[in-house]
Amino acid sequence: MFALNFLLRRIVQGIVIIGLVTLLIFTLLRVVPGDPVRIMLGPMVAPSVMEQVATELGLRDPIPVQFGRYMLQVMKGDLGHSFIRNAQGGSTGGSRGGETFDLQNRAKVSELIANTIPYSILLAALAILFTVLISFPLGFVAGVYSGKWPDRLSLYVSSVLVSLPNVWLGIVLILLLSAWGGILPAIGYNGPSYAILPALVLAIELAPVMIRSIAVSVANSLQENYVSVGEVRGIKRRRMITHHVLRNASIPLLNLFGIQVIGMLLGSLFVVEYIFNYPGVGLLMINAVFQRDFPIIQAIAMLSSAVLVCVNILVDLAATNIDRRLQY
Amino acid sequence: MQTNRSVLNVSQLSVDIEGRERRRILNEISFTLEADTVLGIIGQSGSGKTVLSRALVNWLRPPLRISGGSILFKGVDLATVNETAMQQLRGREIAYIGSDPANALDPTLPIGRQIAEKLMSVENDLARDAADRRVLQMLDAVRIPSSRQRFHEFPFQFSGGMMQRVMIVDALITNPAFLVADNITQPLDVTIAAQILRLLKELQRDFRTSTVFVSSALGVVAEIADRVIVLAHGEVVEQQGMHGLLDRPTHEYTRRLISEMPKIWGEEPLPTAVETPASETVLSVRDVSKTYSERDRNRFFVWNHIQAVRGVSFDVFRGENLGIIGESGCGKSTLSRLLGRVEAPDTGQIEFLGKDIAHMGRRQLLGLRKKFQLLLQDPFNAIPPHLTIGRTIAEPLYIQGGTSSVEVEKRVRATMIEVGLQEDLYDLLPVGLSAGQRQRVNIARAMVLDPELLILDETLSALDQVEQAKLIELFGDIQKRRGITYIYISHDLSLVRRVCNRIAVMYLGRVVELASNTDIFFNPQHPYTRALLSAVPAIEERRYLPETYLMEGEPPSPINIPAGCSFRSRCPLPIEICASVDPKLSATPSDGYAACHLITPIAQSTINS
Amino acid sequence: MIEEIASGPAAIPAAKRGSSIGAQILALAWRAADFRIGLAVLAFLILASLLGPSVLGLSATKMDVANRFAPPIFLEGGTWKHILGTDQLGRDLLIRSLIGLRNALLIGTISTIGMFILGSTIGLVAGYFGKTVDLVLMRITDAQMAIPVIILAITILGVSRPNPVTIILVLVLAGWPAYARVVRSVTMSERRKEYVRASTILGASSIRVMLQQIAPNILPPVAFVALLDVARMMIFEAIFGFIGIGIQPPTPTFGTIIADGTKYLLNAWWITTIPGLLLALCLCSINLMGGALERARNTLLRGQ
Repeated sequence: MFALNFLLRRIVQGIVIIGLVTLLIFTLLRVVPGDPVRIMLGPMVAPSVMEQVATELGLRDPIPVQFGRYMLQVMKGDLGHSFIRNAQGGSTGGSRGGETFDLQNRAKVSELIANTIPYSILLAALAILFTVLISFPLGFVAGVYSGKWPDRLSLYVSSVLVSLPNVWLGIVLILLLSAWGGILPAIGYNGPSYAILPALVLAIELAPVMIRSIAVSVANSLQENYVSVGEVRGIKRRRMITHHVLRNASIPLLNLFGIQVIGMLLGSLFVVEYIFNYPGVGLLMINAVFQRDFPIIQAIAMLSSAVLVCVNILVDLAATNIDRRLQY
Repeated sequence: MQTNRSVLNVSQLSVDIEGRERRRILNEISFTLEADTVLGIIGQSGSGKTVLSRALVNWLRPPLRISGGSILFKGVDLATVNETAMQQLRGREIAYIGSDPANALDPTLPIGRQIAEKLMSVENDLARDAADRRVLQMLDAVRIPSSRQRFHEFPFQFSGGMMQRVMIVDALITNPAFLVADNITQPLDVTIAAQILRLLKELQRDFRTSTVFVSSALGVVAEIADRVIVLAHGEVVEQQGMHGLLDRPTHEYTRRLISEMPKIWGEEPLPTAVETPASETVLSVRDVSKTYSERDRNRFFVWNHIQAVRGVSFDVFRGENLGIIGESGCGKSTLSRLLGRVEAPDTGQIEFLGKDIAHMGRRQLLGLRKKFQLLLQDPFNAIPPHLTIGRTIAEPLYIQGGTSSVEVEKRVRATMIEVGLQEDLYDLLPVGLSAGQRQRVNIARAMVLDPELLILDETLSALDQVEQAKLIELFGDIQKRRGITYIYISHDLSLVRRVCNRIAVMYLGRVVELASNTDIFFNPQHPYTRALLSAVPAIEERRYLPETYLMEGEPPSPINIPAGCSFRSRCPLPIEICASVDPKLSATPSDGYAACHLITPIAQSTINS
Repeated sequence: MIEEIASGPAAIPAAKRGSSIGAQILALAWRAADFRIGLAVLAFLILASLLGPSVLGLSATKMDVANRFAPPIFLEGGTWKHILGTDQLGRDLLIRSLIGLRNALLIGTISTIGMFILGSTIGLVAGYFGKTVDLVLMRITDAQMAIPVIILAITILGVSRPNPVTIILVLVLAGWPAYARVVRSVTMSERRKEYVRASTILGASSIRVMLQQIAPNILPPVAFVALLDVARMMIFEAIFGFIGIGIQPPTPTFGTIIADGTKYLLNAWWITTIPGLLLALCLCSINLMGGALERARNTLLRGQ
């Protein structure tokens, strides 16, 4: 009963949030300067033709009308067509398109996303795996030996890692491991090994946050009264840590993971894909921004907020399952 | 089991706190715990009694360290035994119950599973279902209602008293040879604490567990202990049989301890309180109610209504001290917030000096606030940490406005002197002030406006006996000088006995009895008042015995208050009508008021009408 | 009893009697060596970025085609004239890095202050009033948090013409919700404390309680940890520059220097790596200080 009630409420809240995010991005795109029609049709086109195409596309209607129309379309499962990319893939430079602009020739946004998203999922999964492998041992040991040298060590390691800008780190790793070392491939995609280096960059960015949080929540959990009472009740410290401390420490960690880490991962995924020219959703998005390809930008913004909202719901559901107090 | 065989031999035990300078906490403690007996250890805060009880189970953590002596248990010296061997003894042979049951178990797992976990890690070859069965048996033995269901509930779903029962189960399930009970009744309400004490006594008899019972309340130790040790400043000052200690204390410290024990029936109230007050009504409370709503997470669109205060009425006369007593959850804190107009009541009137303040806006109230003040409970958090003491006391003058800063400083300094604060504290921050000094800052802040009515919500509860006595005296002096009226809201029966003219007893959001000080203590009409009196830890002879008046059970939840009399479930004398009709507060033969069907209604008049 | 012993005044050695929470945090952080090291390095870098360009007397934008790809001093062919070498247009990398550092620090600091003010105000109001106000403000915060910073930033900056003001606005817009959340939750717990209730009982107005009682107690600890966000915002500034949506050329920023260098990575690797190292050094010094302040805050808050 609780789970159903909770899920329903959170899903409704989530839909509202996704709607607000889409509205914000939708409005921003239309308010800030930069006319997509100019890029679509190229610089040689007469202003009258531009106005005609813009009107046909509905870009001259009031924003609420445009937004309403867009949301109706989305609810039917149609994310629209790209302004720039044609159905065969690749983008048509505006100059060739000329006056015969037909939206139906352009690629469907849903297909563009479907083609790129597997690469992004591979990269994200690998990044999470690396992050966990780096941060769990370091964070756990630091938390158990809070205030002692392992804690200090993990603190300095994470202070250094968090100070490495990902754009720079990416280039340096390409130089060291790919260009000079020849150990790992980089730039573009030609097999799963191309995901390793970008995933490593992402993991180095996410790990410090995780290391510190794991250390702090394990240390805080160890401070709880029931841990020391457990010893006098006759339960061994090792069992106390594996069965109780970790369980309790996981609740703040789940929250952190749901809100901060996934948010960071999504954002940085875009940047890292751009650095490595990795053909995922992020690269699609950044190119779309430069081409003012509104339907793609809107769809990806909506998608990423939907991912965040879903992860949040799952994480909260897991947390309430671990700690029943959260249900009350 | 043989009698007079010793279980535990402590000799010359010393504990130090290590640090930049080493300090001795316990000095050469020696005593013997006989089999099948209860040894009481009494000591005030700072006497080292918690350190001693932890040392007995080898559970001291740095910076504390056993620096000498021995604790012999079955031929093993617990003071020097290694951690592995100690691990074998803890939980199996040696058990410990502390004063914080709410935080003693993992909050995320059901209690039954955690006790079974302990049982299985102590008895290695025990199967899961056998362990569960034993836990259930024990839960029944400590009279936890619907134990089968509660086995699967989580610590936060238990009240303090029920959780302490759970911890007793956890401690005794392995049938240990020796139990340390460290201040186990301290956080509980009097009636609940009395129930726990009674339960522990029975179990100790049945299980023949040798027990060390540690407490700061002499009255509690006197209930249960066979022998008693008096601990002061880390040393044993006296050691003898319980009766001997009360009748013939040998050490000066013990004698003072006994004389400082507040007496309820054996002492007259302070003279300030008994002077007949004028009959002018200062505050008139009429049928005041407050309900809080909280979303029910398990059902759609359902809100739970927590009925905190349910139709309370009383009058307060100029110059008197009115006491409002009750246990936690009875609504007295909510009532104090309503009287102090931190919150507005849902229904009813609060007339102060003839004006109804129940629903006045902040600006309208501001002027009247000069004349009534509410003093809060916690001396540590009631003062903003970032403002100087002078500035804090001046705050009400600034809020009221219209006083020049020279005048403000003059009045603040004058008030500081009046409440006994040194004037040189004026420019200091409150860091480092003692509880007593902090409470004086608090009092000064309330007094600086020269109020006519002061509501004291557990104001003296956090202070020790000596400091409490000083402040009671201060309140008396101020009363004589300024003709002020006090409302004491407290859980402490001995306090209201000492200072109040009239006393209202609250239970589950209602006033169940309202009578003069003497009547409440010598001729109470309501069975709850009698239950309360029977449960007070005391070393004097009781007028009301727990065997007669103190039933098992806890108050019903304020969310689902059953029909009829709300005290019915714990009443020793329920009659048929109690199940259906909720009794009204009616006049009693002795000029008081009580809400009970057993009282013959002399007149149908209630103070409600 | 044990608690009394363990957490008495002695347990917080740096807590001077009669000093504010902010001063206590600073005093405790100062005892950590990493705080002092971080401060020294940061002070040096700030001074260098302010004075360096005029002392060295070189221009950050003047091209010198004859001196393209000059290696840094420690490589063969390096000269004292261009200590860190030159880029593909012969511009001095040290000067470009120092000016880039100055811009990054300015943008990082201003945007952090901005998001601190905006977020704290919203958090204070939501936490103090609760109920509907809280519900509405927190839903807005949730929605704002559901857009990753980068996505919001590239959308706004990529479509419009970026300049320092829009960059700062975007960062403030993206960063405030974290502050709103933290400040809201501490406000809610602070509001329940008795000294706040005492103030309400005395008849103080909401604004008075919020600004005079709650804010001075809860904001300093939040403000110190905001130092960590200065570093985070500087990274964002670099990312924007790299993608091409930061401060526009020819004004040097780390992002554009790094992006320019990638084209010449194999023959002039120093163009990208060495200025980046300078940025990392600066971020590390800030993070060391921020970390020490955070630890000091946690120690103090736990000790209370």
